[in-house]
Amino acid sequence: MEFQAVLMAAGGGSRMTDLTYNTPKAMLPVGNKPLMWYPLNLLERVGFEEVIVITTKEVQKMMSADPKIKQDVKMKLEVVCIQEDGDMGTADALRHIQPKIKTDILVVSCDLITDAALHEVVDLFRAHNATLAMLMSKAHEFTETVPGQKGKKKTAEQRDFVGVDESGKRLLFMANEADLEEGLSIRKSILRKHPRVHIKTGLVDAHLYCLKKSVVDFLTDNKSISSIRGELVPYLVRKQFSKTINGQKTKDDVEDQNQKKSDSKLHISSRDEPLLQLAQERSCWNDHRGDMSEAYHGGKLRCYVHIMDQGLCYRVNTLAAYIEANRLAPKLFEEPVVHPSAVTSERCQIGSDSIIGASCQVAEKTSIKRSTIGNSTTVKEKVKVTNSIIMHGVTIEEGCNIQGSVICSNAIIGRGADLKYCLVGNGQRIESIAVFQLKECVSVFVLN
Amino acid sequence: QCATKRKQKKTCAWEQPLLQAVLIADSFNRRFFPISKDQPRALLPLGNVAMIDYTLEFLTSTGVQETFVFCCWMSNKIKEHLLKSKWCRPTSPNTVHIITSDLYRSLGDVLRDVDAKALVRSDFVLVYGDVVSNIDISQALQEHRHRRKIEKNISVMTMIFKESSPGHKSRCEEDDIIVAMDSKSQRVLHYQKTQGLKRLHFPMNIFHSGSDEFEIRYDLLDCHISICSPQVAELFTDNFDYQTRNDFVRGILVNEEILGNQIHMHVTKDGYGARVSNLLMYDAVSSDLVRRWVYPLTPEANFTDQKGQSCTHSRHNVYRGSGVSLGHGSQMEENLLIGCDTSIGANCHISNSVIGYNCTIGDNVILDRAYIWNNVHIASNVVISQSVVCDKAEVKEGVKLNKQCVLAYNVVIGPNISLPEGTVVSMHHPEEEEEDDDEFLSDDGEVGQSQDKTKQKAFNPAEVGAEGRGYIWKASSLDDTEEEELSQCLWGLVLNPDPDSDSEASEPDGSSFSSDPCAAVFSCAVFQIEVLGTLQRGLEENIGCDNLVLEINSLKYAYNINMKEVLQILTRVVLDFPFQQQGPQLTTPQYAALLLPLLKKWAGVFKNYVKRAQDHMDCLSAFEEYFLEQESHWGAMFKILMTMYQLEIVEEEIILRWFSQGATTDKGRQLRNNQGVRMRRQGGGEGNTEGKGSYLKSFI
Repeated sequence: MEFQAVLMAAGGGSRMTDLTYNTPKAMLPVGNKPLMWYPLNLLERVGFEEVIVITTKEVQKMMSADPKIKQDVKMKLEVVCIQEDGDMGTADALRHIQPKIKTDILVVSCDLITDAALHEVVDLFRAHNATLAMLMSKAHEFTETVPGQKGKKKTAEQRDFVGVDESGKRLLFMANEADLEEGLSIRKSILRKHPRVHIKTGLVDAHLYCLKKSVVDFLTDNKSISSIRGELVPYLVRKQFSKTINGQKTKDDVEDQNQKKSDSKLHISSRDEPLLQLAQERSCWNDHRGDMSEAYHGGKLRCYVHIMDQGLCYRVNTLAAYIEANRLAPKLFEEPVVHPSAVTSERCQIGSDSIIGASCQVAEKTSIKRSTIGNSTTVKEKVKVTNSIIMHGVTIEEGCNIQGSVICSNAIIGRGADLKYCLVGNGQRIESIAVFQLKECVSVFVLN
Repeated sequence: QCATKRKQKKTCAWEQPLLQAVLIADSFNRRFFPISKDQPRALLPLGNVAMIDYTLEFLTSTGVQETFVFCCWMSNKIKEHLLKSKWCRPTSPNTVHIITSDLYRSLGDVLRDVDAKALVRSDFVLVYGDVVSNIDISQALQEHRHRRKIEKNISVMTMIFKESSPGHKSRCEEDDIIVAMDSKSQRVLHYQKTQGLKRLHFPMNIFHSGSDEFEIRYDLLDCHISICSPQVAELFTDNFDYQTRNDFVRGILVNEEILGNQIHMHVTKDGYGARVSNLLMYDAVSSDLVRRWVYPLTPEANFTDQKGQSCTHSRHNVYRGSGVSLGHGSQMEENLLIGCDTSIGANCHISNSVIGYNCTIGDNVILDRAYIWNNVHIASNVVISQSVVCDKAEVKEGVKLNKQCVLAYNVVIGPNISLPEGTVVSMHHPEEEEEDDDEFLSDDGEVGQSQDKTKQKAFNPAEVGAEGRGYIWKASSLDDTEEEELSQCLWGLVLNPDPDSDSEASEPDGSSFSSDPCAAVFSCAVFQIEVLGTLQRGLEENIGCDNLVLEINSLKYAYNINMKEVLQILTRVVLDFPFQQQGPQLTTPQYAALLLPLLKKWAGVFKNYVKRAQDHMDCLSAFEEYFLEQESHWGAMFKILMTMYQLEIVEEEIILRWFSQGATTDKGRQLRNNQGVRMRRQGGGEGNTEGKGSYLKSFI
């Protein structure tokens, strides 16, 4: 076993609280499958047989009830529950499961939907004997109108600066614009090693990491690191170029020595290290050209990134991304538009870009286009649904017109309601002939 | 091959305007002193050909049809050389105009003159007279013209760079540059010389150009070739402080947003281009030339078309001119160029060297990386490594020249002496150089005069040998200006990458912040004193509130104080004012009597700062803080608060909120209680907070 897969599924979805109020992020339906099914499927496709799933009690309960996960996922899922409100970061979670980690690990977030070739990342990790390999993708512009959000979202977000070398694989630095107010500063010695630095902005981190086992061991010694993306990755990237003082006996206090110990722990990657070292010395291969120094300039710690040029890569962590993911999900997997157990009338129009879930009832003279209809949903006569996401167990009465909206589970839409760009909360009831001509995109999200 | 290339250019040239070039045959520095005291840099031989000929050949082969050569230092010699050369023959495809002036002091002066004389009509190539290159810039020129066509007059310059990794021989440390560019548009965003810098800093605004891909390149060699639009000359005129091209580039990049001018770049991978800016570069470019990196400009090509300069090329890059004689047992190892009519004795080992015309070399001589110019006599048993021996110098028997030695014109060394590393011997006395310090650019007649003077001074046999003639150059002035000396030495700085001792651990993150709070506290204290002074003056001179506000605001900016601090300090200063005026012995009623009119007077100042609810709160907390320190005057507190309320400095609602807010310290609670008790007492029994509110209202 080369890798152990770890799925991080305890996130609360703090950036889309409207949706995650009742359903945890990992279980949100995307194309009628729970969100976490996608990364699980990704892992299964590349041949993993076991996955450690870090999640909450609530999700575990829902997982055991969910038919998709029960039937479709053939991997052995080892569920580790962590406290829900314990403020545990992703790195904390890794520390928590450290005793279970025997090999290098592949960490995936539960909100990743991608058709990326995972081997590209893993190959980088293997080829360069890297400490960290990660996946990034070009950021997508979300063009769809988002319910409940007035106008276009400001694009003045802080950009992430990612520096890679000439080959576009070696990760040289990562910084957020907010931390760079005083300008970007790079040491000349780094530039001497990597004279051509490409700085890319507009990339999105897929939160998929290959990490050496030693990194997990390192985490147990350094309790201050709590998040992988926020702290661990920047630390590793920076650590690539810091010089390790070896052999010199300096008057360091105990704390410093501890630090050094843990640092050296980071460097020891596997027990084959001496052999790999020998192989590298004997080989005429070099990772760079121009100067005569040894491969990797003698650096022991290396971080790599695979940047996807094309293909699909979404992190479903905002409402806009959720809608976009639902629109694209049918294209990812070839499945029948209408679930076999659904009952649809012959005189209804269902577009091929839609999904009708299990045991749905779709009555006559309805039209469903570019929409997802969840399980056990009842759609009555003369209903028009376009560009919308209808979750499970929703009842839509006669003559409704629903456009560009998200309707959460168990909601009831009264007769003749007209919804445009609305977000209807879990278990809500929209009164009959309520007309929400919400061109101004007001959210009809009512709590309780 | 050159000729066919030229023909091609000519056929397509008629549709384009005439391509012009500005060649600056002066370096405006003294890096080659004392060699360039006798010969201008552009005429120094490199591979037995004057450097300016390489530059002119490069310009001609790249399609330039009209070249303006600007000379200053020893302009007569350059003029003479050019008039004799093929460039001034009527068949030359490149018309050369020689413009001389003793007034040029920098590249900026030359370009201002170009503008004044209106010499250029369209885009032109700007080069120095010591650039050796075979780059075909036609593609760069096309890109440049295309950019100018699409966006009129935005891009003013295209700089030509050559890719070469750090540590490459032809990169000299002092000319090392870092460039930040926009990957898509090839726009230069940042250009900086890196000499002596450990960390390279890029300001954030260069990343705001709307692109999402940038490149930071440290693998570039500046060829000192640039394609300029006529605007460049105008910009030099407009900005009379631009002296060098570096000034210009920095100026354009910094003022990009204001002027809207941009600079682009072109990177060539396989061309060769380098500027001979010091002897180290001379060494590097010479050896590249012999190793045929500058093809088709090779020694055997005889592109200058001079009679008797042809030589043959044999394997291991050994070039021999006509009439070269080689003694028995001598070995010409590799990368070697020997000029015509040079005779070499027996049992010599010569490698990686260039030897000029009419030289005589004795027996058992070892030359490695030696650059021997014309008419040099080298006796037997001499060892020379990585050194330059100029025209008509004589090296007597048994002399050893260690690395980086220079024997300038007419010097005689030896016999049996070993010159230490880096020795420069010249016929010019170093002191004489200081004498004509100011006039070094004036004319070359001066040099002849001083030469006579120096003849009287005796040569030191310990330095140059018993029969030697010459002075050690600059040895005396080494101690006083060591720093300058380093950058001015003839050989450039040797490229030895400094070990990166700066580890992560040695840069504590906190260090930059630790000083900040101290500075802030300090500036607050000064600000407080200044505010006090302002208010005192205001009182004496009866200055209106509006003007006081203006003064305080300007102080605020001067000391970089935020709004909250201003309010707190102002409150504190006003409350403390009576004590400052009358001394700390005031009794409580006296204090209150003094303060109340002041509050009335300055209510306008307060009102200007106290606007939002938070401001009221800040004001009150400063009030509380002050009285916590002045326990003995708690009696006046209520009256002052009341006055502040009446003057509408603080609102009732906020006072009540402040009051109901829990105090953080015991003393604060005590203070509030005291206040509360007094309020209750005056409130006539109504003990609750609402009562107080209504009481406050009824009070007015």
